[in-house]
Amino acid sequence: MAASMQTFSRVCSTKHPIKELIRWQITKCSALDRHKNGVHTSCRLLADVIPETFEQKTENKAEKISKAMRLYMERAKNYNSMIDKEIDEYEVGKRHLANIMGEDPDSFNQDDIDRAIKYLLPSGLFEKRARPQMKHPYEVFPQRKEALFGKDGRPHHYQFYTGKPNYHGLLHDINMKYEHLNATETELYKNGKMAEEEDKKLFLHGFQWIDHKTLTKQLIEEISPQEYNRFVLVLHRLLKHKLSYKEEEFLLKYSKKVMTMSQFRSIEKPLIDSDGREYSEATGRRKTSNATVTVYNNGSGQISINGQDLAYFKDIHQREQLLFPLQLVNKIDKVDIVATVEGGGSSGQTGAIRLALAHALCSFVDTDSIERLRLAGLLTKDPRTRERKKPGQPGARKKPTWLVFLILMYCQLLVV
Amino acid sequence: MAMSLVNVLRRNFQTFCTFEFRRQSSLYVKTAGNFRLYSSASSQPTQTVDETETGWDDSVRNAKALQHDDYFNIKHLVTIKELFSANVHLGHKSGCRNPFMAPYIYGNRLGLDIIDLEQTKTLLQDALNFTAHIAYRGGIILFISRNRQTLPLVEETARECGEYAHCRYWKGGTFTNVTSQFTRLPELCIFINCLNSVFDTHIAVVDSAKLMIPSVGVVDTNCDPRLISYPVPGNDDTPVAVEYYCRLFKAAIMAGKQKHVEDRHA
Repeated sequence: MAASMQTFSRVCSTKHPIKELIRWQITKCSALDRHKNGVHTSCRLLADVIPETFEQKTENKAEKISKAMRLYMERAKNYNSMIDKEIDEYEVGKRHLANIMGEDPDSFNQDDIDRAIKYLLPSGLFEKRARPQMKHPYEVFPQRKEALFGKDGRPHHYQFYTGKPNYHGLLHDINMKYEHLNATETELYKNGKMAEEEDKKLFLHGFQWIDHKTLTKQLIEEISPQEYNRFVLVLHRLLKHKLSYKEEEFLLKYSKKVMTMSQFRSIEKPLIDSDGREYSEATGRRKTSNATVTVYNNGSGQISINGQDLAYFKDIHQREQLLFPLQLVNKIDKVDIVATVEGGGSSGQTGAIRLALAHALCSFVDTDSIERLRLAGLLTKDPRTRERKKPGQPGARKKPTWLVFLILMYCQLLVV
Repeated sequence: MAMSLVNVLRRNFQTFCTFEFRRQSSLYVKTAGNFRLYSSASSQPTQTVDETETGWDDSVRNAKALQHDDYFNIKHLVTIKELFSANVHLGHKSGCRNPFMAPYIYGNRLGLDIIDLEQTKTLLQDALNFTAHIAYRGGIILFISRNRQTLPLVEETARECGEYAHCRYWKGGTFTNVTSQFTRLPELCIFINCLNSVFDTHIAVVDSAKLMIPSVGVVDTNCDPRLISYPVPGNDDTPVAVEYYCRLFKAAIMAGKQKHVEDRHA
């Protein structure tokens, strides 16, 4: 080693040190004796390390990359030619179908094709996907990803090595948005401006996250159910953030509107009385109580039940129950209520008024609030009533007590 | 008795293997004046893409760069003071200590191992220099960590550098499965955390060693530094420390790339 070191220093002092140096290599082995002399250095001629013949056998990196690229190009070419062929066949089939149906082949569109197929090849199969169909090849064959790497073999996406770059990139984006919101929140707290943001929280009522299939299609990647759950979890966490309204646009991109049940409910328009005031009437039942409630819009929160105020009900629990629909849609001191109720006891009467009140309120609130009323169960009639007493037993379900002396008495009666 | 002897032998053999591997890998990696870029897939030194594509002579340039001790001027970035304020010196309880980390430990305070920052400093400087060299030659650098708390930070760092990150679940065979879709494996793996999520050595540490991919790794007192080409003893759990590492590695990579552009136009 010492000898080579000497040669090496001689080489360094030659005319073209760099040209010479290429043939040499220095090995700095810091791992070996770090504690003794700092860094251990050795050098040797490169020709000793890599024999020429051995080197010739291996293909260089550029060749290797171009090989991968070539393979990719070949696959892409095959795919394109296959798709072109399929499209040609589809076009021919379409014209043929149009001729069979006696229609103009040029204006024959996908709807016409579906109709023709349904007419010519009627199928009784339950599963729609199993029935005969003729769709454009782009709909039938899965989409292909673009090339993920450049000519030098360097991938385009920074998450490329995870194997699912789009999915993990998306998760990372959501994460970064959350971190950003956190930072903003801290800043707002510091400046004492957080109180202004309190009631801006985002609610996505009537929305749900895009489903597994849609996500798979959107990202063009195979996503396992666990990964989809993770996606939903992370997205949900972003939504629950106090400042999530700042990311509304992003969140809406990954959610879709769902049909709510209250959309199918017909909402009565408010009537107008002789004083020109808007009002709405509804009836409700619970147990044996019947209630009629009239709700006047733009009121001051007056409540009249059979001519009395809220004190008509003695229990606080019942008063609270009655006010619950108003509280839910934030209308406690904004409407006047006149209720008449008859029959039943106090709890039945409360329930009947509450049901009627919730229905009457629907005329004055937006669909979002109606959906909330429905989800709280306030628009649903409570069908439970008193169960009748059965003969041979003391109550509806209660059976007579089984005692030994009763049996003895029966026995004695029989003997006598 | 016999059992313990076997254990000792085994340990010695492992140590030997590690050093042998280091020696082998360093032969290829730290080649002075070697115009061949370290190739990950075939474990044979091969030519860079740049050279064949443009015909530009990289060899002279690379030889120049390697001659210089601190070509990218990044060694001054690491100071003991900053290392200390980033809590890099805090290790784990001595019960968790990996025996191979003993040389890097300064002492033990209140049951907690304290890492020797003098050693960390030089090792980190070496690691940064190496990273910059790889970036300079257009190598692919992959950031790896399985710490959930610092995951977004590491990924963001990789993204900002224009490099790659794998901080998610490590699917077996990502490197070793030859039929995988990757056209080019990374030229350097930077382990911000060498452990996987269940306190075992990350599979990528072993896999990159198998494929002769050089690795830079932050090793805490409970990690095994043997298979990592450039171990950097330091705390890997504290966000402050991880932020510090990320900042340094980003600076090194950016310096390497900057120098690449400068030299090309020079």
